[in-house]
Amino acid sequence: MGSTIFDADEDSLPVPDASATFNPRIRRDAQRGGRGSRRGWLVLAVILIAAFFGLRMFSPAGDWDTASVLQDFFTLSISVVVESLPFVFLGILLSTVVQVWLPSGLLLRRLPRAPVLRRLVLSLLGVLFPVCECGNMPLARGLMLRGLTVSDSVTFLLAAPILNPVTIITTYQAFGWEDGILVSRVLGGFVIANLVGAVVAAHPSPDRLLTPSFQAACDVAGHAHASVSRIRRSAGAFAEETSAMLPALFVGSAIAGAIQVGVHRDLLSSLGSNPLLSVVALLVLAFVVSICSNVDAFFVLSLGSTFMPGGIVAFLVFGPMIDIKMLSLMRTTYTARALVLITALVALCVIVLGLGVNLGA
Amino acid sequence: MGLILSLIGIVATVWLGFTGRLGLYIHPRYTVFTLIMALLAGVIAVIAFTVVPGKDDEHGHDDAPPPTRRGRVLRRGKTAGLVAIVVVAMFALLVLPPSTLSAATAQERTVNAAAPAPNSSSIDSILTGADTSTFTVKDWSLYLRMGASDDFLASHPAEVVGFVSADPDDPQNVFYVTRFTITCCAVDATPIGLAVYLPGWSDRYHEGDWVSVNGSIVANPSSSSAEPFAIAPSQVSPVAEPPEPYVY
Repeated sequence: MGSTIFDADEDSLPVPDASATFNPRIRRDAQRGGRGSRRGWLVLAVILIAAFFGLRMFSPAGDWDTASVLQDFFTLSISVVVESLPFVFLGILLSTVVQVWLPSGLLLRRLPRAPVLRRLVLSLLGVLFPVCECGNMPLARGLMLRGLTVSDSVTFLLAAPILNPVTIITTYQAFGWEDGILVSRVLGGFVIANLVGAVVAAHPSPDRLLTPSFQAACDVAGHAHASVSRIRRSAGAFAEETSAMLPALFVGSAIAGAIQVGVHRDLLSSLGSNPLLSVVALLVLAFVVSICSNVDAFFVLSLGSTFMPGGIVAFLVFGPMIDIKMLSLMRTTYTARALVLITALVALCVIVLGLGVNLGA
Repeated sequence: MGLILSLIGIVATVWLGFTGRLGLYIHPRYTVFTLIMALLAGVIAVIAFTVVPGKDDEHGHDDAPPPTRRGRVLRRGKTAGLVAIVVVAMFALLVLPPSTLSAATAQERTVNAAAPAPNSSSIDSILTGADTSTFTVKDWSLYLRMGASDDFLASHPAEVVGFVSADPDDPQNVFYVTRFTITCCAVDATPIGLAVYLPGWSDRYHEGDWVSVNGSIVANPSSSSAEPFAIAPSQVSPVAEPPEPYVY
């Protein structure tokens, strides 16, 4: 999946830049890409859709009689896909708007120059884009193609799902001001996102934290394809982003489903009343459950009687930042090493935060 | 590839939506949003199909140095991986019959492990005049935990529908009428249940069977079960799985 971003940008969009003259196939496509072939692709798309619908309708409707663990694995994985897919699409659409339709630099030029201030502002950007975490990844990619630095993007990704009106409202509905959970979540998320952003910024060459294929896409994005129509570029961006995101989403969902079937939850709930273990247990649960940040407060509310408030805060701060599905999506853009670093840092910060809430309460 | 995967996801979502089975996977509050995004993405995917032709069969990138042997193997592996993802996605989303979570997951997640926290002291006054015949497993479970009085319970028999799962502490005599409750999607499903005291129940019912249980709620006669209350059933009858198997 890595190279598809790169391929798509070069091959599929008949871009009149230097590379086109070296690639006879592209030139031929550009000349030939008239009505006829386009209609052919339309027909193919319609046939595909019809075939998928046909397959769905004529598949046996009966019940399962096989092992129920396997059934639950599929149900759980499918539920993650069905739940995240609309948000991923929304994120991709926003990303396309940022990449193609917004005047170049409209967003970025207004950001403060000083890196620390810029990250502060970016961590509040989630207020403008109330998408939950799975939609933020494509959006962050779009912003990076438009010139956002690596550390900026990390700050945005970590902060936006928490500092976001929907999340704040649902957390308030679930917990009110009880035990300082809401305040700890919002402030903690803000501080941790900026802290981790600062650490990433201190990396000697932050670009090495990006996957080679995404670096390449950034390089290409530098040369403006001004002569290609916006519709075409939007379609190209949509195709590229779905090629990068959907395989990652599907694989991430399958892993999340498999771990859910395998990990026993009662193991976690027996740790609820220890100040440190309750934090670690809910951190692990947040990682495994991969639930959307907009509603995770309602989910963890039911654990409120079993776990100390620090554990709840850990769940509410760590979950939106890092979980199985999110790591799979982030892997499209950042190297595995970078993700290990970021995950470890965030986990450490959240443990400190949760422990602080437990001991302070 | 992305477009094909998109279409698979979109077709599956739309089909689930229009056959009313999206509720097996996600909370109903997302249904409208999910369907709108699926239809919108479907239109865009079709447009993208016509504008971005041949993207998947042209892997060449002529600026790059000619691929090494290792590069070719990597690329082939990557393509094979993508094809595998598409095939599995088609199988999971388009071929398998949609299903709910099974009783195995209820066991694994421990029924009533995470009960809603009590937040009212005068529960009987809330319940006065309530129509208990509409109470679900979730309602009963909540009110029992909030301390509904014995008088109230004696005059209000329960009539609930759920699937059977054994009480791990006393599997011979007690089973739970169980439902999953959902806040977001099936991933966060948490089983809740009402204990039913019926010695020898496992001769007649299997775990996972859907049943309707009638009877009054009494102090649990079982000595080893952790549940303080249980239904003393006057009637247990098998029923079909309801179209909305989860409670919210």
